[in-house]
Amino acid sequence: MPDFIEPLRRRLVELGCPMKQVRRLVREVADHREDLKQTAVAEGLSGADAEARANALLGDPLALAEQLMTALRRSTWWGRHYVVTFSLLPLLVYPVLWALLLLVEMLLEFGLGYRWDAKKIEVAVNNPVTFHHLATAFQWMDYAAIALVALFFCWLARRSAVSFKWMLTACAVCSAIAVITWGKIEPHSFSLGFSMNSHLHMPWFRGVIPFLVAVAMYVFQRRTRRRFQEKVAV
Amino acid sequence: MVIGIMAAMKKTNPSFLNGVPELLVLRLLARQEMYGYQIVEEIRTRTGEALAFGEGCIYPYLHYLEAEKQVSSRRQEVEGRNRNYYKLTARGRKRLEALTSEWNRVTTGVSLLMEGQHA
Repeated sequence: MPDFIEPLRRRLVELGCPMKQVRRLVREVADHREDLKQTAVAEGLSGADAEARANALLGDPLALAEQLMTALRRSTWWGRHYVVTFSLLPLLVYPVLWALLLLVEMLLEFGLGYRWDAKKIEVAVNNPVTFHHLATAFQWMDYAAIALVALFFCWLARRSAVSFKWMLTACAVCSAIAVITWGKIEPHSFSLGFSMNSHLHMPWFRGVIPFLVAVAMYVFQRRTRRRFQEKVAV
Repeated sequence: MVIGIMAAMKKTNPSFLNGVPELLVLRLLARQEMYGYQIVEEIRTRTGEALAFGEGCIYPYLHYLEAEKQVSSRRQEVEGRNRNYYKLTARGRKRLEALTSEWNRVTTGVSLLMEGQHA
């Protein structure tokens, strides 16, 4: 008798179903199959025949895995509208992120003890060492923000069980935006904008960050799947 | 007829038929706590086998309802079998009331039209 549950589990993992969902779906389908078997046995069928009927009613495990994945994908807004979510939504997230970045920078200054005191801030920005620290903090927050947006869309892609290509699409859009946008902090000025020539130090690095996130997610997914398969095999 | 659960999840589509699986599942769960197999069997038998969920396809749909906080679930052992039992939440009850009211409106309208055709 061919195994039903194992091919189902393997196919769900291959299709990129989140591990938590795989465990739950497999457990519930296994319960369902057991119920079908018990009903068939109660009707007088032998164990083997009951198993065969349960398998026949559930259909092809690979097709069932595809159906489960489609249903899972369609159960979220971003899963249903994946083109909009992963190719257009990153464009809208950046202005919000910039506003947050600005807020964090202001809170940082506040936390450092300047307390919106114009004189203290004036002294700080005129001090090259202090200003250098502020500018460095800003630059790393900028990189972190780009990585966070890419990570957010990768997480969304995993959660909505869409294929890796949509994760990559979101990261490519994030990368394009990161290349053409810039945030700059100078003594007595803070500016945000977009242009092909940003005058930033290593502008290409901002564009690489989303792809680094995509690669990290890909490696993480592969490792998680392999570990899961090994654990199941044991 | 196998219920198209995918269409049922499209909240943006106001077509009433899309809400039928949701109505059936919520209606059954309003009566008692149930597990997946039980829901599928109840729908099949209580609709005179006119409607049926694809075996196994009920689960992503139940997970969706759970994510929407319309149902809640718990793992429970009954007669030596561990199963996930689903029950209706307060939000699910409200949703059921809305769907029932819409269903009554549509069926009344369709009945009027059909009666008119026969007249």
